[in-house]
Amino acid sequence: MVPQNMKEQLALAVRSIQWSYVIFWSESVNQPGVLSWGEGYYNGEIKTRKTSQGVELSSDEIGLQRSEQLRELFRSLKPVDTNPQTKRPSAALSPDDLTDTEWYYLVCMSFVFNIGQGVPGRALENGQPIWLIDAYSVDCKEFSRALLAKTVVCFPFMKGVIELGTTDHVSEDLSLIQQIKTSLLNSLSVDDPINARATLSSRNNEGVACVAFDDNDYDVELIPEVGYDIINTTTSPNGSSNALQANQLRNETFMVESWQVLDDDLSNCVHNSVNSSDCISQNISSAPKVGEDCNNNQKMSLVDPLSEDWHYQKILSELLKSNDQLTMGMHFQNFHQESSFCVWNKGVPVNFQRPRQGTSQKLLKKILFEVPRMHTDGLLESQEENDYREGTRLEADEGMNHVLSERRRRAKLNERFLTLRSMVPSNSKDDKVSILDDAIEYLRKLEKKIRELEAQREPTGIESRSKKSHHDMVERTTDHYYNNKTNNGKKPMVKKRKICDIEETRREICSDASKGSSNKNVTVSMSDNGVVIEMKCPSKAGRILEIMEAVNNLNIDFNSVQSTEEADGSLHLIIKSKFKGPANATTKRIKQALQKVASKF
Amino acid sequence: MDNSTQESHLRSDNNSVTYDSPYPLYAMSISPNTNSPQQRIAVGSFIEEYTNRIDILNFNPDTLSLKPQPSLSFDHPYPPTKLMFHPATHSSLQKTSSDLLATSGDYLRLWEVRENSVEALSLFNNSKTSEFCAPLTSFDWNEIEPKRIGTSSIDTTCTIWDIERGVVETQLIAHDKEVYDIAWGESRVFASVSADGSVRIFDLRDKEHSTIIYESPQPDTPLLRLAWNKKDLRYMATILMDSNKVVILDIRSPTTPVAELERHRAGVNAIAWAPRSSKHICSGGDDAQALIWELPAVAGPNGIDPMTTYSAGCEINQLQWSAAQPDWIAIAFANKMQLLRV
Repeated sequence: MVPQNMKEQLALAVRSIQWSYVIFWSESVNQPGVLSWGEGYYNGEIKTRKTSQGVELSSDEIGLQRSEQLRELFRSLKPVDTNPQTKRPSAALSPDDLTDTEWYYLVCMSFVFNIGQGVPGRALENGQPIWLIDAYSVDCKEFSRALLAKTVVCFPFMKGVIELGTTDHVSEDLSLIQQIKTSLLNSLSVDDPINARATLSSRNNEGVACVAFDDNDYDVELIPEVGYDIINTTTSPNGSSNALQANQLRNETFMVESWQVLDDDLSNCVHNSVNSSDCISQNISSAPKVGEDCNNNQKMSLVDPLSEDWHYQKILSELLKSNDQLTMGMHFQNFHQESSFCVWNKGVPVNFQRPRQGTSQKLLKKILFEVPRMHTDGLLESQEENDYREGTRLEADEGMNHVLSERRRRAKLNERFLTLRSMVPSNSKDDKVSILDDAIEYLRKLEKKIRELEAQREPTGIESRSKKSHHDMVERTTDHYYNNKTNNGKKPMVKKRKICDIEETRREICSDASKGSSNKNVTVSMSDNGVVIEMKCPSKAGRILEIMEAVNNLNIDFNSVQSTEEADGSLHLIIKSKFKGPANATTKRIKQALQKVASKF
Repeated sequence: MDNSTQESHLRSDNNSVTYDSPYPLYAMSISPNTNSPQQRIAVGSFIEEYTNRIDILNFNPDTLSLKPQPSLSFDHPYPPTKLMFHPATHSSLQKTSSDLLATSGDYLRLWEVRENSVEALSLFNNSKTSEFCAPLTSFDWNEIEPKRIGTSSIDTTCTIWDIERGVVETQLIAHDKEVYDIAWGESRVFASVSADGSVRIFDLRDKEHSTIIYESPQPDTPLLRLAWNKKDLRYMATILMDSNKVVILDIRSPTTPVAELERHRAGVNAIAWAPRSSKHICSGGDDAQALIWELPAVAGPNGIDPMTTYSAGCEINQLQWSAAQPDWIAIAFANKMQLLRV
């Protein structure tokens, strides 16, 4: 039951203490035992003031006008309202014009409380005032509208509850409540209802158009908002909103008025929109334009000015729950029937599959860690075939960032290590040191084997061989190694290249050590500009000279000549020399020339 | 629903359809092309050998039919790390019956999926002088500028391709270690995650700098996947190695996640934002759960509970939310691909 001049008295009261707003929650007529919006006065910050007539109003009048405009806006946003007058697009305010506090005030209009529920409900039930400080930070279970109001006071008054709120921090002061109570009581009892009606209706001439005053029943104005649809909300038509709210709102199970036209509206949206479903974010972007025709698009436009305010969004999303369902997809609102998904059950552990033994994220890790390696390994094989490109590639990459090329260099080193590992029998680990150790070990083994083999082949040559240089030894070793590999038929060219790279030389080796025919016993090896000739021939006076001469004719300079006369009368020569000029003789030609000399008798 | 017309390896009820593949599946993409009532879905096999397959299926949400198109299957060297259809729904590039499909692996490849055949359109190799190109872990197709594809590689770089001209727009050393995922925000802004444990944002207009907006709490815990909320670019989500968390980041508050979704009971493998809503995200994990979360305005003290949940038979490895049909989510587990009504 709302006394007629309630608004004025509320205004006076709230202005006297300079708080932001006052709401009178009164018992709903249609829903006994439920508190709903009775009357209110907004005394807070105002964003855009619309003075259509340009008439200067007193602050008193401004405040009343504003409160009425807010009420009007709320009504215009409410599709439920059947009063044609409120549907006219004449709401003095558009949703764009509101401050956050005004929004809060506006949102409050949609709340209803059971007796004993929520702060207003409990205040009424206990008959005691409730003073809530820092309502903002209070858990939402306590005060679900906890938004911008820092201090909220509720006290029972005339079968209803007065709620006062401010954005400032005000500590509890029961005398304040008493002061307001008495001032309200006095003025209300003194005031002549008839006069009050007169003032109010004159004020309402162009503002709140829908006020249908009746001496017998002055509640009429307030009823439509509450309406029968409270039942709808509690047994919510689209079930999901209930389920979703249930977790969040325990104590203050406020019932948001259901926007009755919702379903129709949604389906309209669905049919009209190109994508067959709409979403909040799209509406946010379009909302500023929506302001004027908010009658058609009310729910969407509500969202707009609040995009920065989480708390508001939360409340609004409660109010506008169905929008979320839209955004999720058309069927989401019906997910009880059709969705594959079940509502998350908090306490009860869902029957779930324990992860199998082994690593977690197995496939994801394989995709990220192992598949790239498959490519690299595959690449390595094919790369070896075009290995000759390697040199050019390095140069071409000059332009690349240094870091990158350094990384590539390391990658190449790693590749080479892998190659080396594949060539060397290995029984130890895969790290680089082990690979090198294995390679060294393997080389030593091979060298030893060569020595043994050569010892078998030339049982008499031991003495002379002992004088051979280490360099020669290596040469032979590698030589042997290649042959060995060649015989295995396993990528001979590639392996050879690798070793050559390592030694940074290009060698052609021609070993023509056929047994029996001593005159063919000539070995020529070339490295860079150097030539090493090793030959054996029957000893003869002037033989060395002849050989030197022949070699000289081939444009070769001597570095050193080492000769040994062996027991069987043959001459063993090792000539280290180098080419004089660019016109190099081939190994074959050198050999032929020397063989010719050696075969002279 | 008449199931008799379904093929034997397809199962369906009112709200889901399942496709049984002959091989394990990983990569997956749903065509956003709305030109036909049939939705094309590409699935990539995961076989640890050279020859892998990409299969195309036609999905009709009205009749709940899911039909493999054997004529549209093709080989891919090693398992594709990602598949993605051309993101723009109305593009001059797209004829009604053909879709462009990109795949990553050894290279970025572009395929044209036609009515009855698939043609390899191009292969993008970012090394000028050789066939060598570091393997790709992922890529993302720029929705706003569809000629742009960004790839992430184990060689720590991200490469931005102009696929129309077939040239590298830029190559950036994005991270200190392997880059595992990349996601576009705007036409010139992308973000990437790496084994170095960081999420970095890059702007092509200023290639010298990047912004680290998150680093994993234990240094060097690799970040494996990244999803940028296309409906609200302030938010992105990432997942960590060996973690049951989905970390929600707000680019306005670098380094501190705005939320950590921790209701999976095992490692998370895949995340996808809702295509039409700014605050819904779906995640799938080793606990065989697909969870749909609604990000609240304010997180409560006990963390955030998912809104809804779905249990698959085993570890969910892949998850895609259909852009054309936002009430359908596709998940992949073992050798199955399943479409779920949201």
